[in-house]
Amino acid sequence: MSTIDLTLQIWRQKNSDSLGNFETYTLNGISTDMSFLEMLDVLNEQLTKEGKEPVAFDHDCREGICGQCGSVVNGVAHGPEKEVTLCQLHMRNFKTGDKLVIEPFRSRAFPIKRDLLVDRSAFDRIIQSGGYVSVNTGGVPDGNTIPIPSQVAELAMDAAACIGCGACVASCPNGAAMLFTSAKVSQLALLPQGDSERKKRALAMVETMDKEGFGNCTNHKACEAVCPKAISIRNIARLNREYAKAIFTEG
Amino acid sequence: MWFINFLKSSIGKKYIMATSGLLLVLFLCTHVFGNGAIYISSKAFQGYADALHSLPMLVFIFSISLLVIILAHVCIGLILFWQNREVSKSRYAVEVDIVQEKNSIAAKTMPYSGLFILLFLLVHISGFTFGPEDVPVSEHVKELFSGFFYGVFYLAGFAALALHLSHGFWSMLQTFGVNHPRFNCLIGTLTYIVPLFFLIAFAGIPLYFMTGLGANY
Repeated sequence: MSTIDLTLQIWRQKNSDSLGNFETYTLNGISTDMSFLEMLDVLNEQLTKEGKEPVAFDHDCREGICGQCGSVVNGVAHGPEKEVTLCQLHMRNFKTGDKLVIEPFRSRAFPIKRDLLVDRSAFDRIIQSGGYVSVNTGGVPDGNTIPIPSQVAELAMDAAACIGCGACVASCPNGAAMLFTSAKVSQLALLPQGDSERKKRALAMVETMDKEGFGNCTNHKACEAVCPKAISIRNIARLNREYAKAIFTEG
Repeated sequence: MWFINFLKSSIGKKYIMATSGLLLVLFLCTHVFGNGAIYISSKAFQGYADALHSLPMLVFIFSISLLVIILAHVCIGLILFWQNREVSKSRYAVEVDIVQEKNSIAAKTMPYSGLFILLFLLVHISGFTFGPEDVPVSEHVKELFSGFFYGVFYLAGFAALALHLSHGFWSMLQTFGVNHPRFNCLIGTLTYIVPLFFLIAFAGIPLYFMTGLGANY
C-alpha cells in the first residue's frame, strides 16, 4: 500500500450569509486506495482532534449512484477523473506534493450553505414542476404490455442515468441547468408512459428552470465533459425540440 | 400570449438566435455569389450591381428584413450575454479549460466576435451602401481596398466572421435540435467548411486588390 502527502486548500464558509475564505491544511500518509471522501474524513478526524470545526461536505451512498457528493477539485467538478463522482475518485489519481484546491459547486441557483455544502433544492423544484408521469392506480400491470423498442429504452435509460449531482450547473460558464433538465425531460418523453404530459412537462420544467435563476445555455459542452454519468448534450437538443413543439401548440 | 412566453424563456431566445443566425448565413450566401463577380471582371461586377439596383423594391424589402433580423440577433444576443454575466459572477479560484476542443475558443468569444462583426458591418455599410453615388461601385471597391488599413480591417472582420461561424453553425443546429450520431460527423465537418468557405471567398477580395492580382481588374 502506498501513501501520499498532500496540501489541501479548502473553501470554508460558516453559513450562506457569511463571507468565505480558503484555509490550507496538510495531510500526510494518505493511502492511495482511499476515496476522495475518505481522505476528507481523515482530514475531519484530524481537525476534530485539534479542536477545530470539521469541513462540511455532502455525501450519502459513496458508491457513485446517489448524486449527493460533489465539489470542484482544482477547477474540475468531481475532480480529474472522467465519468466518476467525487466519492468514486480515488487518491491514486494524485501524487505526493500535490496541492488540491477544493471548492463548493458555485452557481447563482445553488447558494452555499456551509463550506462545501450547497443547496441544490432548485433541482427538486424543477422535478416537482413536471418530472412525473400520471398512472392509473390498481393492479400491477403485466410485464411487456406496452412494447418499447430496445433502442428507445436504452436512450431513455441513458437519460435516466442522471443522478442530479449538479456538476453540469457548476461547470457551465453560464450556470445553466439545461443538461439536468433535458435528461429529466428526455427520460420521460422517450417512453409511452410519459407521453400524456409530454408538452406540459417540457413547458413547466423549462419555466421553473428559468425562474430558479439558472443561466442560458450557450452550447459550450462543459456540462457533458464533467458529467459523472456521461449524459450527452443530445438530450439538450431533444429538450429544444420538445420545448418548441410544446410552445407552438400548447404554450 | 404564447409568443411572449416563448421570447421570455431561455430556449425561446436561443431559437431566435438560431433562426436569425440561419437567415443571416443564407443572406451571406447570396452576398458571396454577388461578390464572386469581382473575380471575373469589373464589368461583370458592375453588371450585377446595376441589375440588383434596377429592382429598388426588392432591395428595399431585403434591406428592411435584414435590418430586423440583425437587430433581433444583436439585441437578443446582448440580452443573453448580460443575463449570463449576472449568473457567472462568482467563479472558481482555479480556472481550467474543461472543454478540450479546438473550437471552444470560438464558443467563449461569441459575444466579442459578434460585436466586432457589428463594428465591421457599420463600417462596411457606411463605405458601400451609403458610399459616394457618383462613383460606380466597381471603381469604388478598388479605390477603398487600395488603402492598406482598410483592407486589413476587412480581413480582420472576415476572420471574426469565420471564428463566429465556427461555433455558431454547430450551435444553431444544436439549438434546432439537430443532434444525431448519424449526422454529427457531417455537421462537424460542415462547421469547418462553412466558415472556411466564407473566409476564402470574402477575404479573397481585399487580398485580390492588396496583392496586386486585381491590377487589370
